[in-house]
Amino acid sequence: MFKYVLRNMWRRKARTFLTVFGIVVGIFALTVLGALSARLNQQVKGARDWYSSKISVVPAGSSLFGGDSGYLELSKVAEIQAVPGVKNAIAGFGLPLEEGSTGFGTPEFIIGADLSQAEDELNLIKIKEGRILQDGDQGKVVLGSTLAEKFDAKVGGTVQLKGEPFEVVGIYEPTLSAPDSFAFVSYEDALNLFRAANPYFQVDNIAATIDVIPQPGVDMEELAQRIDESVEGVKVISPAEAEKQISQFSLIFNAILLGIGFIALVVGGLSIINTMIMSVSERTQEIGLKKAIGAETGSVLSEYLLESALIGFSGGLIGMLLGLLAVFLLNNATASNQVAVFTITWMVIVGPVVFATVLGTAAGLFPAFRAARLKPVDALKED
Amino acid sequence: MIVTRGITKVYNIGPVEIKAVDGLDISIEAGEFLSIVGPSGSGKTTLLHLIGLLDVPTSGSVSIDGQEAGALSPKELTRLRREKLGFVFQEFNLLPVLGARENVELPLRYLKVPSQERHRRAMEALEMVGLTNRADNRPSQLSGGERQRVAIARALVTDPVLVLADEPTGELDTHNTCKVIELMRDLNRETGQTFAIVTHDSMVADYTRRVITLRDGKVESDIAGLEKDPVCEADAEDIR
Repeated sequence: MFKYVLRNMWRRKARTFLTVFGIVVGIFALTVLGALSARLNQQVKGARDWYSSKISVVPAGSSLFGGDSGYLELSKVAEIQAVPGVKNAIAGFGLPLEEGSTGFGTPEFIIGADLSQAEDELNLIKIKEGRILQDGDQGKVVLGSTLAEKFDAKVGGTVQLKGEPFEVVGIYEPTLSAPDSFAFVSYEDALNLFRAANPYFQVDNIAATIDVIPQPGVDMEELAQRIDESVEGVKVISPAEAEKQISQFSLIFNAILLGIGFIALVVGGLSIINTMIMSVSERTQEIGLKKAIGAETGSVLSEYLLESALIGFSGGLIGMLLGLLAVFLLNNATASNQVAVFTITWMVIVGPVVFATVLGTAAGLFPAFRAARLKPVDALKED
Repeated sequence: MIVTRGITKVYNIGPVEIKAVDGLDISIEAGEFLSIVGPSGSGKTTLLHLIGLLDVPTSGSVSIDGQEAGALSPKELTRLRREKLGFVFQEFNLLPVLGARENVELPLRYLKVPSQERHRRAMEALEMVGLTNRADNRPSQLSGGERQRVAIARALVTDPVLVLADEPTGELDTHNTCKVIELMRDLNRETGQTFAIVTHDSMVADYTRRVITLRDGKVESDIAGLEKDPVCEADAEDIR
């Protein structure tokens, strides 16, 4: 039957090809966006891991991803430290590595942390080479994996951050998320770099964030609430809150993906239905003949379902392969910037093909039932 | 043996009621070679559809090999058609994407015959119609006469109780008509295969042993005991 169905599809090469091509376009878009979304979700997951093991305290009115509500007084560190359950309150100061850097992926940041408190935080990521920063380190940097690759940095070597030389003492393992693009330095170094870049901006005794590491066994959500209640003028972002903000970020993108999927569904589905209705009406007499000589309703039904499923499947397969090719080429093109825009997962490969096949089968249901229900005597008379 | 008892088929075209077939009692014995003739609108094709279980009578009954068709579900009717009947139509007999042998195999497929046996029986049937050399050709590569011979092979392949042919020569020239009718007659004589041929061609009717003439849905005459041998022109090649 398979061979027979293929021959039937081949009878109207142009039409079959055009219908398949319609599916190809939709599935191509779906695959490329799927790979983009997979990349994004990976980053989101990394961000989640990074933010879920600590509580971030930021100036009231800003969010995890920045804001313009100024800075925190350094005196807040002591206040937070005094809250029961807090192990470390780490003053942090971050600034972009390059002004106005844009593009996909995570922006590159210089992250300064109070090294006297930061040991646990800096140990959240596994070190690949060298060591993490220690209390008293000055002019030293530990690089995230992406930055290390970009600078072609080696432990013991020197990199320039905003024109200042820093000795590389360590390189982190890749996390496939935000910290890969971070250069970790001491709080004082970060502040100095900021002062050098903004000479007219008075900055002293301030922090951009204060990260809180809880004592073992302390419930982070409860601790976050205690800090919120006892410290004035700050916003406390608990892991759950961070999760919410991160999810919102990926929600929008997933909605776009869903939209594209929906368009592929409607356009592809309709064109398969159209093609199949035409096939069925062209072959009405053949269907009548088959039924006259003893074909079961189910046999006619499955024949046409197989045909539409095959249209969906081949469109899905070709679209997915073209999508993968595009993703591969784009990733290669951006590889020099250490920015992988797309991630290929099994879901990205299998998902669109399954989707297109199911779509083809579903779209074939109506025409196939129409074919299968034909009465032989009526079908034979058709002209 | 096929027996119809008072079969009537009524079509309603708007408010008008048309009795295409009007209370026919016909019996066809095994081994018969008969034709059903009559002017257009006489009900001969409707009769063929009713005997062929392709259509359900408004009243009356059809029995095939002692099995009453009236009580059967569409699925069971399909099974009965598959097992007991063979069909040859005027046109659109063959599936264009299948080769001659594959077309002949089709009813066996529906009977779930294993592929090797299917292959063997199809070749035997093609041999009976003298077309083994065309087994792999698609219908578009065959002449009109050859196509009808493939259709006859397909009708024979299941060894049916009755082969029903609806204007089998309607699209053929005189020579090919003669060859096709001669083939059916020879098969009838050699294998005892029962044929019922609906035709408006008097030449075809002349060569059958029994002629049922219909008019306005009723039997006008039913004459048996005829026999005239087809005399086809010298064995020329089929005209394409």
